[in-house]
Amino acid sequence: MKLEQSSYMFDMVLFELQDIVGKDYVSTKSSDKEVYSVDYFWIPEMWHDRQKGRDLTRPSADFIVHPANATEVSKILKIANNYKIPVTTWGGGSGSQGGALPVFGGIILDTKRMDQIFCIDQNSMTVKVGTGIIMQHLEWELEKQGLSTMHDPASANCATVGGFIAHRGTGVLSTKYGKLEDMIVNMEIVLPNGEIIKSLPVPKTACGPDLNQLFIGSEGTLGIVTKVTLTINKIPEVRRFRAFIFKDLTTGLRVGQRLMTEKLQPSVIRLYSEDETKEVIHKVLGIDKKGAYMVYGFDGRKEMVDLQLKYAREIADEEGGEDLGEDLGQQWWKNRYKFFFPPYMFSLPQCFGTLDTVSTYSNIENIFNAMKNVIGTKYPQARFIGHFSHWFNWGCMLYARFIIETPPEDPHELLFVHNSIWNDALRAAIEAGGVLNEHHGIGLKLSRLVPELYGNSFDILKNLKKSLDPNGIMNPGKLGFGV
Amino acid sequence: MTSISKNNLDTIKACRYCPMCRQSCPSEFISYKESDTPRGRAMLLQSVYIAGKEYDKSTVEAIYNCFVCGSCKSWCSGFEIGAYNIPELIKFARKDIVRKGQTLEVVESIKSSLLESDNPYQIVKSASFSQIIEEKKADVLYFMGSEINFRNPEIARAAIKIFNHLNISYTLLKNEPESGKILDLLGYPDEAIIKAGQIYSRIINSGCKKVVVSDPLAYDAFKNDYPGWGFKFDSKMKILHMSEYLAELVKSGSLELAKTTEKITLADSEFLGRFNAVFEAPREIIKSSAGDNFVEMRWNREKLLSTGEAAFTFNDRLFTQGDKLGEKIRIQAHDIDCTIIITLSATAKNNIGDHADIKAVDIAEFVAELI
Ligand SMILES: Cc1cc2nc3c(=O)[nH]c(=O)nc-3n(C[C@H](O)[C@H](O)[C@H](O)COP(=O)(O)OP(=O)(O)OC[C@H]3O[C@@H](n4cnc5c(N)ncnc54)[C@H](O)[C@@H]3O)c2cc1C
Ligand code: SF4
Ligand code: SF4
Repeated sequence: MKLEQSSYMFDMVLFELQDIVGKDYVSTKSSDKEVYSVDYFWIPEMWHDRQKGRDLTRPSADFIVHPANATEVSKILKIANNYKIPVTTWGGGSGSQGGALPVFGGIILDTKRMDQIFCIDQNSMTVKVGTGIIMQHLEWELEKQGLSTMHDPASANCATVGGFIAHRGTGVLSTKYGKLEDMIVNMEIVLPNGEIIKSLPVPKTACGPDLNQLFIGSEGTLGIVTKVTLTINKIPEVRRFRAFIFKDLTTGLRVGQRLMTEKLQPSVIRLYSEDETKEVIHKVLGIDKKGAYMVYGFDGRKEMVDLQLKYAREIADEEGGEDLGEDLGQQWWKNRYKFFFPPYMFSLPQCFGTLDTVSTYSNIENIFNAMKNVIGTKYPQARFIGHFSHWFNWGCMLYARFIIETPPEDPHELLFVHNSIWNDALRAAIEAGGVLNEHHGIGLKLSRLVPELYGNSFDILKNLKKSLDPNGIMNPGKLGFGV
Repeated sequence: MTSISKNNLDTIKACRYCPMCRQSCPSEFISYKESDTPRGRAMLLQSVYIAGKEYDKSTVEAIYNCFVCGSCKSWCSGFEIGAYNIPELIKFARKDIVRKGQTLEVVESIKSSLLESDNPYQIVKSASFSQIIEEKKADVLYFMGSEINFRNPEIARAAIKIFNHLNISYTLLKNEPESGKILDLLGYPDEAIIKAGQIYSRIINSGCKKVVVSDPLAYDAFKNDYPGWGFKFDSKMKILHMSEYLAELVKSGSLELAKTTEKITLADSEFLGRFNAVFEAPREIIKSSAGDNFVEMRWNREKLLSTGEAAFTFNDRLFTQGDKLGEKIRIQAHDIDCTIIITLSATAKNNIGDHADIKAVDIAEFVAELI
């Protein structure tokens, strides 16, 4: 149902929402509508940035609601179903894909009031939390007891645990500790019809398909995750780093592959392309070297870390790496978030995007080259840089970026340039064996490409969506599901 | 459109889409709303000062919901280069809002109360502590601030006990006026300057050599605002926060405190600490009595948790959720098993409050107990 603010139906719905969460936790204020119409997706930011003297509007919510628990979420979803009002879940709004944008209006369901820590179990090494908790707040609480989830993303300050579940987020230490999805033990989920369900108490069962997997990465299109139990770890005795320069990306990739497949268990490997070494590493760390910068790190018991560092060093030496020492590695760790603060971070009026993908060791360099090639050939105005930051036994993740310093002034024209770059780069990636994304999700930004990625298997997901959300109220326009 | 400085524009441009310090913003702890974050405020101000939109009431509310605490600044890794400064931006915006006649009713009523009775709470002047005192010529002028004057006279009594104990020639200002700081923070610089002028001449006329201030807002005004408003104190005239004054006495040996065995911590003050780098003085005092029983809270000095010293309104109502800010501080003190939290402003003391297991004690009260 489309709601006009002047209509009595608007007030009828508002009344019902206030009845659930209380007056202070429903907003229809224009300031809130404005602020909730822009997340970290470049398009709404650009639209907001260029509004001066132009007729540019952004879709906005009718109601912004802050429920305190699953029961309130359930009641809200029942109302939304009754009136067929879209519901878009908003965590920290730090998603870069437009996943939390209320593109068809309706209700923004902000999860941040569900920020409780229910239980820290130091025997099973788990923590149970409300999914609206800001990641950093959870880490600070755990740290008091010498614990950590080891999920350490650059957006820990601003993103919620639920957002990371919904987008399959990852952190700097993922190479050893996994992505957030690997830390999930069980979840509480409110289905689109308001039913509150729980996944099985533990994940590694032989009791059929894992319900957790239906909702992890579903970006608020299949339900709202309200509680989660995550694994935790003791903060390690030591965490040490070492930095190197390798003569080129190919060599650096080989070193990374060897560190992983020779089972050295690094917690961090970060390899920067020659271009990104020149641009970003120079700017943030002041290292002015030619080649590909790599930092790796190990953590755990001191003696074990000493050994790991010794073997890693052997590999790096064999591959002709120039040793920059522990200090420069440590400096990278200390500054790992700094890259994301202004003025270090890219920002408008630049046009930019993070084209992250993941593939096997056999394909990943080809993907990097294919993307670089297509952007270099078709968009000479754009720069292309990349680094490889999350490593698996079978392959690694490419965090590629394009940047246009002086993009066209006209926002409509600019949107088309932006989207064309995404289409071309990601199609090149898919063709070379990559996927649309590794840890930022799909959202609105890549929704149109999802059917292409999945081919005929996408019907399975569409049918699932239809059966769970027959009224199509949950985050319409996202994840390729349309409206 | 009023002209906006380059620094304020830089802040808008950096912060408008940047969520990187939102975890530290105390106003967001309270409402959970995006408009109550540094990013949210900068976005709204981008629409006004860059896109040329008119202020609407809800934007004005969001701008007044800011506690001007500077936490965002302290957590900004780009600050060293960009000098992004949300508190300055907010102060500019409020002045502009007032100039445009678009301020909130609640803000207007605080202003009237400050002008009529020198406190923001509409408490009648006759109920003030400074109503009953005798003003005299003295070396030290003790300036309480409106919170103590109208709500926490026990802090003033503690200060007086210390002065008497040390035989210090001191005075207070009879019917002590508000320093002008709150008026300025709310967007009324003209009225603030009038107040400042009155206080300035009374301080000068008092013949005192030192002004000892309990209220961090007043301290910040004397140090940082008054000179710009044309009221520069002579370099021989010392302006000290009570904690700085007492620390000097402790250091010189004129003041000796009895030893305490209680476990004690300190709630730093945003206006004293963040904006004036006064961090060590209160620690020196407490340590001189508590020694190793003084323990730091997790968030201290620059990264202090905001005490709400400049939280006046919220959503077009008087701010009444100070306990939520205080609770965050209490939890930290609890984590380190402290039973006493020393505070540096009456607001901090009130927001942290007295609870069964933890109590908030002003630095002057702490010292007065131990002499
Ligand atoms: C500066 C910066 C650095 C970043 N670095 C990283 C990084 O290192 N690693 C990384 O993985 N990401 C990173 N990101 C991206 C972003 O933080 C992640 O995508 C994160 O998962 C988003 O979480 P959020 O709480 O902000 O979610 P939002 O942006 O609010 O929402 C994202 C999606 O999740 C859905 N959603 C949110 N909560 C729930 C819930 N409880 N149940 C169901 N659906 C839900 C929303 O509907 C939306 O579709 C970064 C972003 C920024 C701004
Ligand atoms: S103060 Fe710094 S961290 Fe905070 S919003 Fe502004 S630029 Fe971002
Ligand atoms: S000054 Fe304080 S309340 Fe205001 S935006 Fe910054 S952190 Fe939030």
